[in-house]
Amino acid sequence: MIRILVAFWLAWQTASPEAMQHLQAGTEADKQGHFEVAIAEFKRVTELEPKFTDGFVNLGQAYMENRDYGAAIPPLKHALDLAPDLAAAHQLLGYALLAQGYAAEAIPHLEKIQEQTALGIAQIGTGQLSQAITNLQAALAKHPNDPDLLYYLGRASGLFSKQSIDTLLAAYPDSARAHQALAENYFVLRQMPQAEKEFREALRLRPDTPELHLELGLVYAGSSQWAKAEDEFRAQTKQQPGNAEAAFRLGTALLQQGKAGEARTELERSNRLEPDMPETLYSLGKAAALGGDSAAAEKAWAKLLSIEKGSNLAAQTHFALAGLYRKQGKTTEAEREMQEFQKLQNPATQPESVQK
Amino acid sequence: MLIVIPRIAYISVLIFCIASCIAAAPAGLFETKQPRGLDFVLQNSPTPQKYLIETMPGGIALLDYDNDGLLDIFLVNGGRVTSPMPVPENFDRKNPRYWNRLYRQNKDGSFTDVTERAGLASAGDGNYGMGVAVGDYDNDGFPDLYVTSYGKNILYHNNGDGTFTDVTAKAGVAAGGWSVSAGFFDYDNDGKLDLFVTRYMEWDTKHSKTCGGDWHTYCPPEEFPATTSILYHNNGDGTFTDVSQKSGVAAKKGRALGVAFADYDGDGLTDIFVANDGMQQYLYRNNGNGTFTERGLEAGAALSEDGRRLSGMGIVFQDYDNDGRPDVVVTELPREIYGVYHNEGDGTFSYGSLATGLGVLSSGSSGWGVGLEDFDNDGWNDLFVAQGHVLDNVEKIDPSLHYLELPMLAMNHNGRFERADSGTSSPAAGRGAAFGDLNNDGWQDVVMTALGDHPQVLLNRGGKQHWLVISLRGTRSNRDGFGARVRVNGQTRFATSAGSYLSANDKRMHFGLGAAEAAKIEIAWPSGSRQTLNDVHADQFLEVREPEKP
Repeated sequence: MIRILVAFWLAWQTASPEAMQHLQAGTEADKQGHFEVAIAEFKRVTELEPKFTDGFVNLGQAYMENRDYGAAIPPLKHALDLAPDLAAAHQLLGYALLAQGYAAEAIPHLEKIQEQTALGIAQIGTGQLSQAITNLQAALAKHPNDPDLLYYLGRASGLFSKQSIDTLLAAYPDSARAHQALAENYFVLRQMPQAEKEFREALRLRPDTPELHLELGLVYAGSSQWAKAEDEFRAQTKQQPGNAEAAFRLGTALLQQGKAGEARTELERSNRLEPDMPETLYSLGKAAALGGDSAAAEKAWAKLLSIEKGSNLAAQTHFALAGLYRKQGKTTEAEREMQEFQKLQNPATQPESVQK
Repeated sequence: MLIVIPRIAYISVLIFCIASCIAAAPAGLFETKQPRGLDFVLQNSPTPQKYLIETMPGGIALLDYDNDGLLDIFLVNGGRVTSPMPVPENFDRKNPRYWNRLYRQNKDGSFTDVTERAGLASAGDGNYGMGVAVGDYDNDGFPDLYVTSYGKNILYHNNGDGTFTDVTAKAGVAAGGWSVSAGFFDYDNDGKLDLFVTRYMEWDTKHSKTCGGDWHTYCPPEEFPATTSILYHNNGDGTFTDVSQKSGVAAKKGRALGVAFADYDGDGLTDIFVANDGMQQYLYRNNGNGTFTERGLEAGAALSEDGRRLSGMGIVFQDYDNDGRPDVVVTELPREIYGVYHNEGDGTFSYGSLATGLGVLSSGSSGWGVGLEDFDNDGWNDLFVAQGHVLDNVEKIDPSLHYLELPMLAMNHNGRFERADSGTSSPAAGRGAAFGDLNNDGWQDVVMTALGDHPQVLLNRGGKQHWLVISLRGTRSNRDGFGARVRVNGQTRFATSAGSYLSANDKRMHFGLGAAEAAKIEIAWPSGSRQTLNDVHADQFLEVREPEKP
């Protein structure tokens, strides 16, 4: 892209034959990856033709290709002095400034050419988080699943979230939401006693806050306190009967305690609210199997495997089906499922055979 | 109106109050004792180097080494670890502080340290102690000791006069590497006890490392190469032959920590279950021709219910639901829940951790030594687990986990486990655990080892239920009767001293009889002979001798 722009601009330029020779030599060296040579050639062009914009642009680009972003900045700035609207120079200068950490200075150049990816990254640096999210989302729409874009969008969203929470904590430190935010932070840090305390305080201040019981239940589940987790998930399902996750979590907590019948009821309810979620189907199968209803377990797991293939959950399901068939004396089916399970297993986890 | 309570009435009220208060006080099932003379401290010697061996010892054996009818206690010590360790490694085992110890039980329940007198004082400077196995490998009527180590293992022959002789070199059972749990059993039913030795991994102090980044802690087992376990065949002349390759036991590498034996498929041959750390568990089916086939995955006993690898550490291979078939309980790290594998009777197992209620009891704990014993003599095997996390700084990494834990006691109610108060209130870094009737009152006791600490002796408070303790005396089978299946009033036990973690249990077989005052005993001996005893009186210690002729 830059090369096309440069070539386009070249057509409008005139320079001495000697300068053109150096320009050609520099371009050739650049193509071959001999950046030091290219830099020397382009530098000579700029000395011979101090008003020849293309020489400065090429010199800046060669510096950047040689990863010397600091050195690229002066020639590119000079190019823009000569031709203030030159898009290629704006783009390169924007990149060079951003690479050197001058995000605020980079932004006007990147805005000029609407380079959304680099602009979004620069805006993260200057704390313009909502704008960064908008630009990165737009860039991601053009380049779906680009790992760099996904990373920066995640980072911008995270920082934006943190900014909002910091504002909340500073402005309303005694509010239910502030305690909830603190609790969530402790939960992430696995500081469960502190998380529990803050969630409890949030609940005391505003008992009807949506999802507080669910989050507190997750704290208990995270430290394997399943009876307490059950109480909280149950409170959540009472508060929000339409919340599929709450029903799923309650079902899981019941399952962990071996309460197969109750677990199945909740998991079936979750499956009705949000049909065919793989995790729900897996747990539903487990609850049915634990309750002795092999047919229902098989049905749930077969459904799961029609949706989910090749994942860890699919591997687990094949393994669970193998156990179910084994218990029923269906040896062939059990072996088939074990083979499917083993196919999906990470080879690194397999036992090592000894060479005889 | 003033009511005057007559003095005599006042006293009776007081007596009633005291009686009812005592009755109402929630007493644990065990009374924690520090018996006089039992002054052992397990020296694991933690260092900043975080050598993995430091967090793994130590074993305990309950055995009657002098056949005086009282259980004695043998305790395996770690050793002195320096930071860093010199080459060659030296664990200062000549220093009495680091000796293994044998304590002879006196008639009054106290103990006398007889280590030096018994010839067990030094375990070799290059050996950091791990576990112990007990069995009468030469059928002379006196239990012998096999002590495992990081380094070389030692076989101590019991001379029958209160002393032991190190016969390792002659017997050819030194092993090497890092041995952990071991056990005697008779895999070919030739009447002589063979020996299985688990080995953990290929590791030495020179190639040790720390993990956990800033937390600086012990590495998980996956950081080091797996290794093979060892099977020694007893030649009957005081020597053993390493048949690991020939038998197929060494066909797969593992990270073995625990081992237990039972005949899971009812073919009259003793099978082996190995608890592996951080990988699948191994079930070695005895083919009856001197070879074994590892069938853990096919049998449904290798992984968790979700197909996940387990951190298998301790193991017990006994029947928990009184269906006559040996089930398996494997203790693990937190978040994995202890694995219960129910024997379906067709050569396969089903995962029973949730159905038995053990899942919810164990998901936050790290389990090591484990036993299925009928602690309340109600006819159902209860569960005891020595607990404590591997990492001595785990609270910094995850505050919901604990390095020092209370042991778990779970009472068995018709095959479902419910937590009970063990009676101990001292959290410890529990490791080994051995089970037996220390005071011969008919109620099973527990001795548990703890890193850097005294062993915890948990004496059963007893009750009113009836019991029966059987000592097997093999004649055509091995003298200990290991491998026999003994059924008493509908309960089944498989004769062994192995299982748990690093430890050896009282070889006598204890049965709770509930309200029954008599018992029917059915014994299937390893030799193939069957024996039935009817109307056996409860509440006695009974020796049953195997018929000389089939």
